[in-house]
Amino acid sequence: MAAQTKHDWADDEDLDDTTATVDLPPPQKITNKDGSSTIIEYRYNDNGQKVKTTRRIRFITHREVVSPRVAERKTWAKFGASAKDGNGPAADTTSVGENIIFKPSVNWRKDAKDEVNDPNAQAMKDKLKDKKVKCRICNGEHFTARCPYKDTMAPIGEGVDTADVAAGMGDEPVAQGPGAAGAGKKGSYVPPALRGDRAGAGAAGDRMGGKYGERDDLATLRVTNVSEMAEESELRDMFERFGRVTRVFLAKDRDTGLAKGFAFISFADREDAVKACNKMDGWGFKHLILRVEFAKKAA
Amino acid sequence: MRPILLSGHERALTQIKYNRDGDLIFSVSKDQQICVWFAHNGERLGTYHGHVGAIWTVDVDPTSTIIASGSADNTIRLWDIKSGKCLKTWEFPTAVKRVEFNEDGTKLLGVTEKRMGHLGTIVVLDIKVDVDAEQTDEKELTIVCDESKATVAGWSYLSKYIIAGHEDGSVSQYDGKTGDLIYNIPIHELNMAITDLQWSPDRTYFITASKDKTSKLITASELEVLKTYIADTPLNSATITTKKDFVVLGGGQAAMDVTRTSARQGKFEARFYHKIFEDEIGRVRGHFGPLNTVAADPTGKGYASGGEDGYVRVHQFDKGYFDFMYEVERERQNRLA
Repeated sequence: MAAQTKHDWADDEDLDDTTATVDLPPPQKITNKDGSSTIIEYRYNDNGQKVKTTRRIRFITHREVVSPRVAERKTWAKFGASAKDGNGPAADTTSVGENIIFKPSVNWRKDAKDEVNDPNAQAMKDKLKDKKVKCRICNGEHFTARCPYKDTMAPIGEGVDTADVAAGMGDEPVAQGPGAAGAGKKGSYVPPALRGDRAGAGAAGDRMGGKYGERDDLATLRVTNVSEMAEESELRDMFERFGRVTRVFLAKDRDTGLAKGFAFISFADREDAVKACNKMDGWGFKHLILRVEFAKKAA
Repeated sequence: MRPILLSGHERALTQIKYNRDGDLIFSVSKDQQICVWFAHNGERLGTYHGHVGAIWTVDVDPTSTIIASGSADNTIRLWDIKSGKCLKTWEFPTAVKRVEFNEDGTKLLGVTEKRMGHLGTIVVLDIKVDVDAEQTDEKELTIVCDESKATVAGWSYLSKYIIAGHEDGSVSQYDGKTGDLIYNIPIHELNMAITDLQWSPDRTYFITASKDKTSKLITASELEVLKTYIADTPLNSATITTKKDFVVLGGGQAAMDVTRTSARQGKFEARFYHKIFEDEIGRVRGHFGPLNTVAADPTGKGYASGGEDGYVRVHQFDKGYFDFMYEVERERQNRLA
């Protein structure tokens, strides 16, 4: 079995702007100390540019003891439509499918459902599961608008209640920020969009804040000392090697369109983010050395 | 796990069979050819040519010397596995829907279709498990199914009984020697055809799959229903895995029954149930059409499924599969250790 070990993006494609006059160097095969071998090949791409492809391949021999009957059958000559096929699986009849994760589980149905829904949405649902609808007038289990005392009583404990809603949002600091601001600094001006003190708007405001709230700061890296010439796609390519990247944000100057020198990379998985942080901190990228750290939570 | 895709067929698969050592896979489809594959890497060893109709069924003898196939060209054919040569052809008045060798490979049963005024029958042929031997033309036994035609049939332990599944959802037990009907029990819902019948390794019990969306584990001697596995789609095939106490069910909404079918709505997945607890424990996706046949590797290392989409997918289980245990199973293992 051949396993491609740790594919390096830097080796993937080295574009040289040399014209197609130079002949291609012969392919090289180097045997590495660790048992793997490196194969370097050159070719011209569609634009006439020379492309160097470096592959590191490790062969792993997998031994299996089979009964003599089975071993004998493996030596049988092919026949019928396969008579002309060479040794090993023929490409036209046999291929390898994409990896399927199959883990039997008693409650697989529940697991599968979680997978289908957005994981963030699910997390949000879990957090809000215990929260009940609470009337701000009488604290009953109905919407304030439907309260029987709507016209006769004034809302009680307005500020406390909004704080409650914000707490229900969980630990997302960005979401909590405006909500808490709205509740805490009483008397100071709060933009209507951030006001959490209206019955319907409370929920709507949550959802709008939720756009940021869903962002998982735990798996977000802050990358600084990024070159001005950097592009989001380049960053994505670099970081995608460590796992699924959910978001790349590269701060750019509004006028010049040049990068400001910092970026945020969000991973789907925190473990991937840790890996990326360790590997990419100090990485040379476009004549600058990247500094990668975990994004601090917004204050 | 990474499934191996076998794309040697051009039309819908009808049956897949592993040989007893689990190293060869035989697949038949409506495109009139039989393919044999190596299970470990999906390499095709060869194809068997001769049938001139859709092939419905295939079976391999216990010594992996010969295979039998039944086809819509109204024949059962016997083939030499190694060379691909056709050894013998038996003609019947109607299509052959199922063939199966008995435990020692000396007898072969065939289920013929009810059509053109002919009643469905189960025929028994004497087989000599030898490539050079002359096979007899005579049918040893013919069982006529006058009530409801048999769709599937098989040999029980010691070839004592012939068990047949019928189009009306009932299961019959016939004497393996005389062909006398012993029991006929309505097991599945009325007029929901039984689509598959596969044996446990010792042939004391078997699993059925039916269009009534259930699969049942039934004893061979008393036709007693031991377990019922409930699915949410019509089932085409069911098999029992060894090593782990699971069953695999395959099915899906046939394209002819609906106007539009997406891969998810069609439920084209292999479903794994725990054999004893009857719980569904997982599904394996991959096919683009209903699963027509599933087969478990007799060594317990994997399974193969064949779909209406013309692909065979061979799966080798990985560690998570073998590690899975119910809490009670784990406790028991710890006690025994």
